[in-house]
Amino acid sequence: MRKLRTLLVLLLAFALFAAACSDDDEGSTDGGTDSGDDGTGDDGDDGTGDDGDDGTGDDGDDGDMAEFEGKTIAAPDCDYGGKVSSIEATDRYEVTFTMCSPVPAFRQIAAFTPFGIQPEEHLEASGGAPLDNPIGTGPFMLDEWNRGDSVNYSRFDDYWGDPAPFEQLIIRWAAEGASRLLELQSGTVDQITNLGPDDFETVQNNGDLTFIPVANPNVLYLGMTNTTFEPFADVRVRQAIAMGIDRQRIVDNFYPEGSEVASHFTPCSIPNGCTGDDWYDFDPEAARALLADAGYEDGFSTSIYYRDVFRGYLPEPGVVAVEFQTQLSENLGIDAEVVVMESGEFIDESTSGRLDGFHLLGWGADYPHVTNFLDFHFGEGNPQFGDAHPEIFEKLVEGSQIASDDAAVDVYTDANNAIRELVPMVPIVHGASASASLASVDNAHFRPFGAPLFHRTTPSDDTFVFMQNAEPISLYCADETDGESLAACQQVVEPLLGYAIDSGAVEARLATDCVGNEDATVWTCSLREGVSFHDGSSFDANDVVVSWGAGLDAADPLHVGNTGSFDYYSYLLDSLINPPPAE
Amino acid sequence: MTQPSEPVESEELLLTAGPAKGLWRSAFSRLLRRKSGVAGLIIIGFIVLVAIFAPLIAPHSPTEDFIGEPNTTRRDPPCVHLLGCDEELPEHIMGLDGNARDQFSRIVYGSRLSLSVGLSTVAIAFTVGSTLGAIAGYWGRWVDNVIMRVMDVILGFPALLLAIGIVAALGPGLRNTLLAIAIVSIPQYARVMRASVLSVKEEEFVAASRALGAGGWRILLTRVVPNTLTPLVVIGTLGVASAILDAAAFGFLGLGAQPPTAEWGSMLAAERQQIFSAPHLVFFPGIAIMITVLGFNLLGDGLRDALDPSLNE
Repeated sequence: MRKLRTLLVLLLAFALFAAACSDDDEGSTDGGTDSGDDGTGDDGDDGTGDDGDDGTGDDGDDGDMAEFEGKTIAAPDCDYGGKVSSIEATDRYEVTFTMCSPVPAFRQIAAFTPFGIQPEEHLEASGGAPLDNPIGTGPFMLDEWNRGDSVNYSRFDDYWGDPAPFEQLIIRWAAEGASRLLELQSGTVDQITNLGPDDFETVQNNGDLTFIPVANPNVLYLGMTNTTFEPFADVRVRQAIAMGIDRQRIVDNFYPEGSEVASHFTPCSIPNGCTGDDWYDFDPEAARALLADAGYEDGFSTSIYYRDVFRGYLPEPGVVAVEFQTQLSENLGIDAEVVVMESGEFIDESTSGRLDGFHLLGWGADYPHVTNFLDFHFGEGNPQFGDAHPEIFEKLVEGSQIASDDAAVDVYTDANNAIRELVPMVPIVHGASASASLASVDNAHFRPFGAPLFHRTTPSDDTFVFMQNAEPISLYCADETDGESLAACQQVVEPLLGYAIDSGAVEARLATDCVGNEDATVWTCSLREGVSFHDGSSFDANDVVVSWGAGLDAADPLHVGNTGSFDYYSYLLDSLINPPPAE
Repeated sequence: MTQPSEPVESEELLLTAGPAKGLWRSAFSRLLRRKSGVAGLIIIGFIVLVAIFAPLIAPHSPTEDFIGEPNTTRRDPPCVHLLGCDEELPEHIMGLDGNARDQFSRIVYGSRLSLSVGLSTVAIAFTVGSTLGAIAGYWGRWVDNVIMRVMDVILGFPALLLAIGIVAALGPGLRNTLLAIAIVSIPQYARVMRASVLSVKEEEFVAASRALGAGGWRILLTRVVPNTLTPLVVIGTLGVASAILDAAAFGFLGLGAQPPTAEWGSMLAAERQQIFSAPHLVFFPGIAIMITVLGFNLLGDGLRDALDPSLNE
């Protein structure tokens, strides 16, 4: 009996041990995500990275597959108004984006710099605000940001692509075009942006310099907040202004060669950009007759607001504003005061629809899709031109859900015709702009979308100095919108996809590709393996989910940024997940 | 008539003796004997004539543009046929600006604005400042304390920054610029006037008037003030120069005259980016500002010398 009892105790003990062993195994799987991640990182840090990558690649993959715990962010439902339903790390090297409605432009959006990927650990360590210390996978690592002077980078030797052929990259800035050109001519910088129109010829005639045309699609328009302020509420007044401005005269006299009068709001280089009827011809008599019909036979008094900031679509803001003032007076009898505003205030006031006169503003393409031009400006939620017109925005909603450009032609034709009929603004010009470099720089370029890929240029020595318009606002570009910040970030942080060096074609970056389902509601991105961040950690799908989540999910603790607005996330994807309550 | 006593020195400027009428006549004759003063008079006289006869001198309206005219492009360099410029090219002796407007016509019309800004601001600052200074100096005690402490507060701010603050609060534009420059100039007139009044009111002829039963205001206006004006005239003349410079600075900063008004400072600012590609567009407005300011400075110096008996004989 005692033996039996002993045997039972032993059996029970064995059973408990066996059970404990079984629990341990399951526990190690759960907890293995972290330990596995850490282990991978440690291996790399310990100098066994090559072994880890290569030798344990297959094994590691099997092991990683078992250990990897994918993260997910998800909207509670699709009633919040945004496009994204969920983002899930479905595998260590695969991310699945599930949309609330079709998003045919997903690949173009995912190629945009604000959607760059940083290590999740770094985002957490920086409290969701790596404003001056970004870590990415790009061809350059940030050395230091000398405020007021320059941003300095050094080459990332473990870059997954071809490393830069030079050691150091320096980005500097000067607001004055003349200063930038002088620096280039004196050889203290290798490349400059935004060449003044009057300097085109100077550069073209200088054998020591290379003239680089920039093919960024853009548009300058004369905006009106048409439902809030008289007399712009009257469509006849708006149509009169559309006919009463000699746009050809503006292009011929104030823009460099290669610029063209805007036949539509969106440039024709964007698919479906210029379907539908061309804009009104210049006809001052008909314009004055329309004004008279509207009760403004003698014109009226108003203002032209603008900011004194050089852009490809508006290279000489003050001079062009005076030209509008002259034309409005001579052609239509409209007495317009020219008012220059501080840049930030101007953007705030104009995009909020609070300017009581004309505003002179433009748009440079972020990505090569018609939604980038039309949806932002004429979507239902944009108050810039007053209450949005259903005749326009309903077509835009319809068009944004059609995956094929060809299938969307009719919809965008209707939308463009409605814009022409309702005249929320007057498109003026698609401006040509240019960059310039020293002739000694090989493969100097300026991409149509985004800043140059500096690691593909070859300067005459080991340092490449680039001079742009202004200092970056911060180096965390998920929460920035200005081109100067994006150019500085882009050297360090890469998105899943990218734009080609000479076109708007989308290329692989951290993802080898993103493939959509038939109705463009589910996009699956296959990630590049063996990629390291600048801090030595390995890139995987969770970095993608966390990076996107920090920008997109307003309830995420990492959703901090610089201003916290994450404009590109909210506007390109229609809304942030868990948006803060409207004030 | 009681004679004023010997002059009293104040802030490097000297009051002079003698009846007012004789003083000015002799001062003018002394001014004409000084080359710098004569040069200043000639320059200012020339600019005043240009301003008065601008519509006759300027070949075009300052806002007329020549876009679309044959052989014409924006920012064309100066073309003077007499100096060999091609006859087929339209003559614009100072070239065209960024909006293809005749630069010479804009410079000519700009003289009206600069002179009117300079003279108006000085007139306002002179009137208000000297009135406050006279009251403070003559009545003294708490009136003096209150007025002069307010002046000290205004003087405590850098003048141009304070003026920019005032324009930022009132909004850009010529009228507000003029007002801002005038406000920040008031204290210097008030201080000089007060110092002069403090010395003159102790003179015997003032005491005599008081003894004869004249009231405070009467004494101040008829006995004291006329004998304190000479240093203010010198300051005022120099003040016109600095007001013109300030107005140009405001124009350059975009806070002064607004487009399409022809104002030298804003003309300079509008084309500052073209300093290498079209230097004539910054050269001529800059020269216009320089010559005008030089004229007023030379005249101011000449007046100071002419009104200072210690420098005469």
